[in-house]
Amino acid sequence: MRADKVTLKEKTVLYIIMTGFGLLLFAPFVYMISISLATPATNAKMAFSLIPRDFHWQNYVKVFTDSDINLGRFLLNSVIISTFAILGQIFSSSLIAYGFARLRARGKKVLFMVVLSTMMIPAQVTMIPQFIIFRYLGWINTMLPLIVPNFFGGAFNIFLIRQFISRIPNTLDEAAKIDGLGYFGIYSRIILPLIKPIIATVAIFTFTWNWGWFMGPLIYLNDIEKMPLALGINILNSTSNVGATPDWNLVMVASMLLTIPMILLFFFGQKYMFEANITGANSSAK
Amino acid sequence: MPPLKEDYMKKFFEKPKWNESLWFYIMISPWIVGFLSFTLGPMIYSIYLSLSKWDLFQPPQYIGLKNYIKLFTMDDIFWKALYNTFYYAIISVPLHLIIATGIAYMLNKKMKGMRIYRTAFYLPSLVPVVASSMLFVWIFAPDTGILNQFLAFFGIDGPAWLLDAAWVKFSLVIMSLWGVGGGIVLLLAGMRGVPDELYEASEIDGAGKRQQFFRITLPMLTPVLFFNLIMGIIGGLQTFAQVYIMTSGGPNNASLMVVPYLYDHAFNFYNMGYGSALAWALFAIIMILTLLVFRSSSMWVYYESEVKS
Repeated sequence: MRADKVTLKEKTVLYIIMTGFGLLLFAPFVYMISISLATPATNAKMAFSLIPRDFHWQNYVKVFTDSDINLGRFLLNSVIISTFAILGQIFSSSLIAYGFARLRARGKKVLFMVVLSTMMIPAQVTMIPQFIIFRYLGWINTMLPLIVPNFFGGAFNIFLIRQFISRIPNTLDEAAKIDGLGYFGIYSRIILPLIKPIIATVAIFTFTWNWGWFMGPLIYLNDIEKMPLALGINILNSTSNVGATPDWNLVMVASMLLTIPMILLFFFGQKYMFEANITGANSSAK
Repeated sequence: MPPLKEDYMKKFFEKPKWNESLWFYIMISPWIVGFLSFTLGPMIYSIYLSLSKWDLFQPPQYIGLKNYIKLFTMDDIFWKALYNTFYYAIISVPLHLIIATGIAYMLNKKMKGMRIYRTAFYLPSLVPVVASSMLFVWIFAPDTGILNQFLAFFGIDGPAWLLDAAWVKFSLVIMSLWGVGGGIVLLLAGMRGVPDELYEASEIDGAGKRQQFFRITLPMLTPVLFFNLIMGIIGGLQTFAQVYIMTSGGPNNASLMVVPYLYDHAFNFYNMGYGSALAWALFAIIMILTLLVFRSSSMWVYYESEVKS
């Protein structure tokens, strides 16, 4: 990158603009925290302020101890769905990607084109028939429709991992083949350890997608005990004591708990997040 | 005993062995099964459904193209939802591109503290849409919300935002702009990829900062802008959760969009046939728009490695 000479005047202007803009983007976070710390009295008056006036930390305890809210259950469900989704995506997508990257077979190119083209199909087209299929299987109101499809690979993940494997030199596989290792052995003992960075990327993206996913759980889950947090918040918002003001402070606590894992993930995994962003975009835009 | 070099070469260049082919198909079998049962099968089934009337309880009834005819000629709500969806996408996507480019340009300067600014701009895009929907209901609250309090500070009497049919779509645009940082990452990477020589050469030719931006930076960024544009259009047309949670399409359907409308038909009224027809209409609209943007790209997207005839 070029070392751009920036004059002092320009610097001042830029800092002012960026700080102003940064504050504008940061204010909603502060507001979220502020509402989540409001007392029941403030909530009843709906007199929330940007800068927290109350520091009612009990809200963060109440959401777990109050059996009517039971946020712990929502969180656990979110963790269950995300964990299985990640496991499914990691193992299936990497195995499939290995096949596409390394093995030679008739029809491979065509099939890979099909993989790529499925990325362009909007989910809404398959949503209704999938619902009917899962209903036929008796999976409605279970987490299975949200988990099981992940075990059949995701097109974008297959693509990402395939690109990554293609960059690894062939020599290791060839050596292993000569030593008598089968194709599955090469995948599990040679390739899998080498592709850890992209596996981390896939895991992060799968988590991000499933953690905040609203529509899938909304379609398939009816019982409150089975709902993940993203859907549970909406229930919390709409059904808390008929006639009374919804507990907005508690809704906002739940929103905080939905947001915090995403931010932690960003701080610990940003290297992997940007990797996929850039590999993915570069190759699919052309 | 290690094989001779010739054997090794021969092995490498020979046609795929049936054993290798077999393993290929074994390894990708999860995808084949998934593709047939969760993508291709459902798509074919969906075509059939879109040509029938079915409420999940009575047996499905074949009605030919009636769903589509109704959709395009009689369903005013569909047209309203489509109009709203376009309105939302046409305003929010270009705004995102412009603002993200501006921010990336500033972040690209060699100045102290840029990492902090970059993180601050990026963080809001990580907030799950359910959480930001809950939050923005309060930000947009007519009397007590911070947005109107902020405007009142400047003596502006803010509208009722989500409760006002004239403002509700723009409110959703404002909310989406909170996540503008998501697009900055790629743009910044794109700006860093512009070769220094271009700037140096233009400086010698007497180009100013403004000219450099419009004649060098922006053209070099067009591939990234193109990618963001396509993703933005596809994402914008599929907007669902915000509308469902914050407005339920109201007031007076002013914020109803295609996917929430589809959801209503399919999963509230159990009109599986009509819902499927809606899904195909959406699919066609997304495809046509994407194609148009792709077609237009030869006029405005610059690829460095591309050979122009």
